[in-house]
Amino acid sequence: MTGYLTVGGALAFVEDHRVPGAPDAPAVLCLHTAGQSGAQWRHVAPELAAAGYRVVVPDLPGHGRSEPAPSGPVDDLGAYAAWLLALVDTMGLERFSVAGCSIGGKIALDLAVRASARLDAVVAMAADAWTGGRPSVKGLRRELADVAAPSRSDRTELGTYAVLGRAVDPARAALIATMHRREDPVVSNSDLIGWASHDLREQLGAITCPLHLVVGADDLWLDAERVRWTASRVAGARCTVLDGVGHYPMEEMPGFAAVLDGWLRELTADREAA
Amino acid sequence: MTGVLMSRTDRWFEDFAVGEHFTSGPRAVTAEDLAAFTRLSGDDHPLHAGPDAMLQGPFGIAVAMGLMQSLDIHGDAVQGLLDTRWTYRAPIRVGDVLRLELTIVRTRRTRGGTRGVVTRLMRLVGDDGATRQEGTTAALVAARTDGPDDARRAFGTPGWARLVVADLDPAFAETLATWDGTIGLRCDDDEVHLRVYRGQVIDVSPRVPHGATFTVAADARTWLELVESADNPFMRLAMIGRFTVSGDGYEYLRLTSALHQLVDAARRAS
Repeated sequence: MTGYLTVGGALAFVEDHRVPGAPDAPAVLCLHTAGQSGAQWRHVAPELAAAGYRVVVPDLPGHGRSEPAPSGPVDDLGAYAAWLLALVDTMGLERFSVAGCSIGGKIALDLAVRASARLDAVVAMAADAWTGGRPSVKGLRRELADVAAPSRSDRTELGTYAVLGRAVDPARAALIATMHRREDPVVSNSDLIGWASHDLREQLGAITCPLHLVVGADDLWLDAERVRWTASRVAGARCTVLDGVGHYPMEEMPGFAAVLDGWLRELTADREAA
Repeated sequence: MTGVLMSRTDRWFEDFAVGEHFTSGPRAVTAEDLAAFTRLSGDDHPLHAGPDAMLQGPFGIAVAMGLMQSLDIHGDAVQGLLDTRWTYRAPIRVGDVLRLELTIVRTRRTRGGTRGVVTRLMRLVGDDGATRQEGTTAALVAARTDGPDDARRAFGTPGWARLVVADLDPAFAETLATWDGTIGLRCDDDEVHLRVYRGQVIDVSPRVPHGATFTVAADARTWLELVESADNPFMRLAMIGRFTVSGDGYEYLRLTSALHQLVDAARRAS
């Protein structure tokens, strides 16, 4: 049921979209981007549920309606991955799939490293195994102090426009960019420190679940070559570059639920073929 | 007037507009080119021999100048070449087929008024689409008139900045209603200062008495892209490092939205 659960000593807000009459519907965990919340999946989740999935959309600690982590803002994406495993345990989910974007995509990759045996499929969007240390962690740490982070909301809004794909309708782009202003800068910056410092390159060999890496061709944050390289290090991994799409496929693409459903079906077929 | 003596093209200084673009036909690089350029330059380093030989860097500049002649944009009004600022991006090898992509990025009348400097962005591109060499060259070109000249794309000059200020949205004044400082805008060697007090631009000058609070600088290609892109690309170009900022970086970040609005005005003015 959608609502609050206690995870890691604090209240977590989780949307839980069930399929009526199908208690064993395959579950998909949908992960948001840095500083944002499960609201990024608001158009996708009901459609994905209608396609037959149990859709679980958590707000990570300190985001959206979830309480902050007791130890303060999280700057280690591995800590989010561990928190999510505690969440699914609390919910009694033995097997599930994961779809995430940006830090959510990288957390999805981390979950694949930690828990491939429990995962039916992983779709990691706008994420690579290692950013090469960009953006600068030093600069991000400096901006943890409000006094060093002027016009943060304007920069988030205009920075969102800058990484949206060319195919996004202007009204949709305006809604996405305006919604993205809703963030706690300290939480966002901590997320980005996690993004820039989390290195999964040496651990990709541990991934045995079906994996699809997806990156938008217009995404300034990602180098498609790094995403391809990541895919090349995981047996059977798929890799797709989306034309006209930027950093936020689930917010940018109309009808994204059907696209994600297609990817999940392919990955499930891969698993069965194996 | 000397115009009656001109034999090739009628392109005078005033006939070049910032943003004009030309593409040459193909030019294949042959083994004979390599042998001839080695003979001419005396540069017989082992890099320029053997089956995988690279042509000497300046070969590209020479070919670019030759391909420019094939565009027929310069006739007798050209009085000389002033500079070449060049970067080698990838080797040129025998078998490459090169094209010249040329864009006019700056036109500026000299003090004397009878001629002007035309700066051309030149890019040598292989048939694989990859840039081999690129840079700018500036030529001195005779003028037909005494001016005045179109300042709409004279980036970094007071004349241009005044047109931009005239095209500012009222929201700019609201955004900077509490601000007191000077915005510097620089295009290559041209810099202009906008003195802002409580939302109003109270002076436009090459240099205000206290200097700029911060200066945003970019090359002419970037300024051209700013005004020609389908959407205002300021933030995208800033994020990929196409601008450099000197002065107070905090105030630069603080004015993100105001700078975006300034670019909107520059786009309207262009």
